Amino acid sequence: MFGPTLINHKNERIQKRVQFLFGVMLFFLIVPVVLIVGTLLVKGSGIISWSFLFHDPTNGMTEGGIFPALFGTIWLVTVSLLASVPLGVAAAIYLSEYAPDNLLTRLIQLATINLAGVPSIVHALFGVGAFVVFFRFGTSILAASLTLAIMTLPVVIVSSWESLQSVPRSFREACWNMGATRWQTIWHVVLPNAFTGILTGVILQVSRAAGETAPIMFTGAAMFLPFLPSSVFDQTMALALHLFVVTTQVPNVPESLPYGVALVLVGIVLLMNSVAIWIRMRLRRKKKW
Amino acid sequence: MMPRFQRVVSADSSAELAIQTRDLNLWYGTFQALFDVNLKIRQGIITSLIGPSGCGKSTLLRSVDRINERLGSVRIKGTIELFRQDIHAPTVSLAQLRKQVGMVFQRPNPLPISIRENVLFGYRIHHEKGGRIARSEADGIVEEALRQVLLWDQVKDRLDHKATVGLSLEEMQKLCIARLLPVKPLILLMDEPCSALDPRGTAAVEELIWELRGRYSILIVTHNMAQARRASDECIFMLMGRVVEHAPTDQLFVVPAHRETADYIEGRYG
Repeated sequence: MFGPTLINHKNERIQKRVQFLFGVMLFFLIVPVVLIVGTLLVKGSGIISWSFLFHDPTNGMTEGGIFPALFGTIWLVTVSLLASVPLGVAAAIYLSEYAPDNLLTRLIQLATINLAGVPSIVHALFGVGAFVVFFRFGTSILAASLTLAIMTLPVVIVSSWESLQSVPRSFREACWNMGATRWQTIWHVVLPNAFTGILTGVILQVSRAAGETAPIMFTGAAMFLPFLPSSVFDQTMALALHLFVVTTQVPNVPESLPYGVALVLVGIVLLMNSVAIWIRMRLRRKKKW
Repeated sequence: MMPRFQRVVSADSSAELAIQTRDLNLWYGTFQALFDVNLKIRQGIITSLIGPSGCGKSTLLRSVDRINERLGSVRIKGTIELFRQDIHAPTVSLAQLRKQVGMVFQRPNPLPISIRENVLFGYRIHHEKGGRIARSEADGIVEEALRQVLLWDQVKDRLDHKATVGLSLEEMQKLCIARLLPVKPLILLMDEPCSALDPRGTAAVEELIWELRGRYSILIVTHNMAQARRASDECIFMLMGRVVEHAPTDQLFVVPAHRETADYIEGRYG
């Protein structure tokens, strides 16, 4: 009475095939990640040492460490965050909490989302035109950081906007009905509850800014600098560009050097992403409403 | 069925009015939700608003603290006066209006902060020093408000717990009422305050509402006919955006003056 019929067998067969197919796809997705990280670890971990991280490159960048590049990347990311976070979060707050829900607002949202998909080389050219030439910052940390900020801004806005929107509307209504102004509502209720979400989005952008080469190579990153930058108007070395340079531009580099640079870069990115994931997990556990 | 609570029906028809509307018409875009609403709601009593879904009772409620205007595209003709003051006058501050008129929602919506801070929230945002108040003053406010809503004994040992966790719906709803009280509102609006609660919770919150009677003028929207009958002094029946009947509750339920009222309270449509 409950035995399978032909139809049951057929449905079950299809279900098994789909499951297998999707599993295979997942496998192909994981293989490159494992290969990349594995190769980097095998070939690059040997060179990683205290002096690799904290010494200057020597002998035409074929020996020595990567400190100026590491230091420069931290500079670039920090300055770009100082620009993109206040700007992006403020814009997201306006879009989410103040802007009326009309055609213009929706167009702005759509444009912002699309802006996130603009290739980074286009941002680079914009940065050259706007910051290097027009604002006369020259090729400098400032110009490069602002270019990175422009590149990360759309995603900061969109992810912050989403975090703000995920705060239930009933909290806002409770506040408004007690006579709280919009700002009081945002400051006391919406922002504290959206904060971790915003932070996660920002951290993911940090890793993106650290890894991009195109936006900085014309705007402020140098192939080789014998000194550390002393202000935002100096040029700087950067990890991503350094990797490109030691891989393609410099002869007689030992094989382990570029792998070491890549490993440090990937390490920074993975570290940042893990922090983001950790924050999100904590947030999920804490958030109960 | 006999009313559960003892009523004091005032014969004095000139008693101070809490809410008075004159020829109130309201449109959402092109849809008209209220037609020529003329109401005189007395101070210090409980007035219930009944009627089938979409009859405009929530709209009317939400016009009283002008929270409707958040929806945009709302247009109003006619006037609403609270204690003889036109609430659409240009000198009216929305923050002041909403301080004087508290709103309780269908679903309890405590803020995701501690119980204590929930009670203090309204007080703080209207406080001139940005809410920096002495601990002892704050403690007094919290205790008084929670006692008024009959919640003090249940929560006094966990005032610092998050209000969105570990409270029953009934307790949350009481907390939502408590947080309105420290700013000393004149009017409490309640939009089906018991519809998310179980029968026991409903009874408890009703009892509380009855307890608050006299100190506040209460306007309560309800779908629950028995509740309107038990726990209100006067009752307004609305249908399709118009007020059909406004009478003392006993009278409206026992000898309704209109055919539509009679049909509705007997459950012929709803």
